[in-house]
Amino acid sequence: MEVEKGKTAKYLRDKQGVSEQVKENLKAFTQIKKRILDALKESDMTILQLSQKLEMPTHEVMYNLLSMVKFGWVETGEIDDMDEYYTYKLKQ
Amino acid sequence: MSSTKNSVSYDALVVGAGIAGGEAALNLAVNGFKVLLVEKDLSVGGNMIKLSKVFPTLDCSACITTPKVSEISRHPNITIFTGSEASNIRRVADNHFVANITRQPRYVRVEDCTACQLCEKACPVSVRDQYQFGLIGRKAAYIPFSIASPKAAAIDIENCTLCGACERACPTNCIDFTQEVEHLEMQFKTVILATGFEMFDANRIPRYGFGKYKNVLTSLQMEREIAPTRPFNTILRPSDGKVPDKIAYVLCVGSRDASVGNPICSQICCMYSIKQSQLLMGALPMADVTIYYINIRAFGKGFEDFYQQAKGMGVNFVKGKVGSISETENGNLMLRYEDINEGIVKEEEHDMVILSVGVLPNEGTTSLFSEEQLMLDPYRFVHQTDGLANPSHTSIDGVFVAGTATGPMDIPDAILSAGSASSEAISYLLK
Ligand SMILES: Cc1cc2nc3c(=O)[nH]c(=O)nc-3n(C[C@H](O)[C@H](O)[C@H](O)COP(=O)(O)OP(=O)(O)OC[C@H]3O[C@@H](n4cnc5c(N)ncnc54)[C@H](O)[C@@H]3O)c2cc1C
Ligand code: SF4
Repeated sequence: MEVEKGKTAKYLRDKQGVSEQVKENLKAFTQIKKRILDALKESDMTILQLSQKLEMPTHEVMYNLLSMVKFGWVETGEIDDMDEYYTYKLKQ
Repeated sequence: MSSTKNSVSYDALVVGAGIAGGEAALNLAVNGFKVLLVEKDLSVGGNMIKLSKVFPTLDCSACITTPKVSEISRHPNITIFTGSEASNIRRVADNHFVANITRQPRYVRVEDCTACQLCEKACPVSVRDQYQFGLIGRKAAYIPFSIASPKAAAIDIENCTLCGACERACPTNCIDFTQEVEHLEMQFKTVILATGFEMFDANRIPRYGFGKYKNVLTSLQMEREIAPTRPFNTILRPSDGKVPDKIAYVLCVGSRDASVGNPICSQICCMYSIKQSQLLMGALPMADVTIYYINIRAFGKGFEDFYQQAKGMGVNFVKGKVGSISETENGNLMLRYEDINEGIVKEEEHDMVILSVGVLPNEGTTSLFSEEQLMLDPYRFVHQTDGLANPSHTSIDGVFVAGTATGPMDIPDAILSAGSASSEAISYLLK
C-alpha cells in the first residue's frame, strides 16, 4: 500500500496503536513543563526554590528544568554569591 | 513487519564502528577492498566519540574523531549500516563467509535529512538521553548528538506517540513511519570483529549507592559533564544543580575485584580519572578533587608525567580503599575508607563522587557465529590464538579481531590493533 508522504505517522498509529505508558509519559512531562513555566513566569528561581514552590524533589526539578534549557524554553541566569546555585528564567 | 532481501557481496565485514572498527575499515578501503561496516548504534564513533579530551595530551577527542569519522563515512569503498547488527556468521569455505544483517528502521530517510532539528523542536515527548547517560532529556524525534555520523534525525519508536508533529515540521519530508526491519543475507571474504567493550554496571556494588544517591556518578557521566557538548552549562550535581566544590574519584570500581567476577586491571581508569581531575580543576578552579586509589597504573608513554602534572595542579591522591558511601541530609556523600598507608579507617565528606568503573568484555560477540565457535579467553574477551606473534588472529580462520574486543586498552593501542587486524585481513584476502 502506498502511503502519502508526510502522513506516515497516521499510517503506523492506525496499524499498531500507541501504548498507554507512552501516553502517560507525555502527559506527565506536559504537566511538569507547564508547572515549571508557570512558576518561572512569576520570577526567576533556583532549583531549590522551584522544588519548594512546586513540592517536587530537587532531582526531578533538576532533570526536567535542565532538559527545558536544552529544548530552548528556559535559560540559565546568574549564580548566587556563594557560586553554588544558578537561577533559571524563561527564555525571552 | 519486516522485509527480506538478498544482496551484494563485499571483501570484508567489519562488525563495530568504534575507533578500532573504523580504522580497520579505512585501512582495507584505501587498499582497494570493499568493506561493509556494521554498527548497532545510530552513529559511528563508538565510545571515543563521547569523550571530552584524551589522556595524556588533553587533545580534544571530538577534534580527533570527527575528521576520522568523516574520512570513513565518505570513502567510496566503505558502506556503513548504522542501527544494524550482524548475526549467524558462518564460514562456508576459504575466503567465503555468509552473514545475516538486520537493519532496524530509523524512520528517517537519512539521505534527505538536513539535520535542521525542526522535528526535534516539534516533538512533544521528553525521555532520558542515552548519549548523555541519562543526565538530561531528549525528544523522541532526535539527532543522537551534535557530532553524530550520520548527522541525521532518528525516531525513538518505543517512546513515540505517533502524533505526526515531526512529520508536519520536516521541510524535506524525510520522516517515514512506513520503514520496516530489513533482513539481508550477504557474502564476505573475511571478517573483522571490533565489537569493543562494555562498562561495569555500578549498580552491582550497592554499597557505593549508584542509582540511589543522585550525586554518585559514573566516569562516563562525568566525561559528558566536562565535554564541549555537555548536558549542562557547567558542571552541576544531579541532585539539586549545585556547582560541586569537593569531588571524589573512587578507582578500581568493578576491576581488580574477584568478588564481582573481574579480577583484572582495566588499564584506562587511572588515566581517565587523572585526565578528568585535571579538566575539573580547569573548569572549577576553587574545587578540591581527591582520587582514592589502590595503585596508580601510569604505565604508558607520558603517563607518569601526566600523573605528576595532576599532583602539581593540586589534585589530592589518597591511597585508600573505599568501603562504602552514604548520603547526608544535604545530598553530600560520606566516604568510609581504609587509609592504606596508615592502616586505619577514616571518613571524608564530598559533594559529588565519581565511580571510575572498569572495562568488561562485550559478551555478545561470541554469539555472532552460528557454526564455528569463536573462542574466548579466561576473562571472556575474544581469544587471541597467537597473542604474541599474530595478535589479531582468532579461533576461526579468516576472522580477525581489533581493539578492545580483545581486552582493555586505550585509543592509541586500539588504533594499532586495528592496523594489525586490517593487515592480517589483507594478507588473507590476497592468499
Ligand atoms: C570514561 C572513559 C574515558 C576514556 N578516556 C580515554 C582517554 O582519554 N584516552 C584514551 O586513549 N582512551 C580513553 N578511553 C578508552 C577508549 O574509549 C577506548 O580505548 C576506545 O573507545 C576503544 O575503541 P573500540 O573501537 O575498541 O571500542 P568501542 O568504542 O567500544 O566501539 C565498539 C563499537 O562496536 C559496536 N558494536 C558492539 N557490538 C556490536 C554488534 N554486535 N554489531 C554491531 N556493532 C556492535 C558498539 O556499538 C561500538 O560502537 C576512555 C574510556 C572510558 C570509558
Ligand atoms: S587502571 Fe587503575 S583504576 Fe583501573 S583497574 Fe587498573 S588500577 Fe584500578
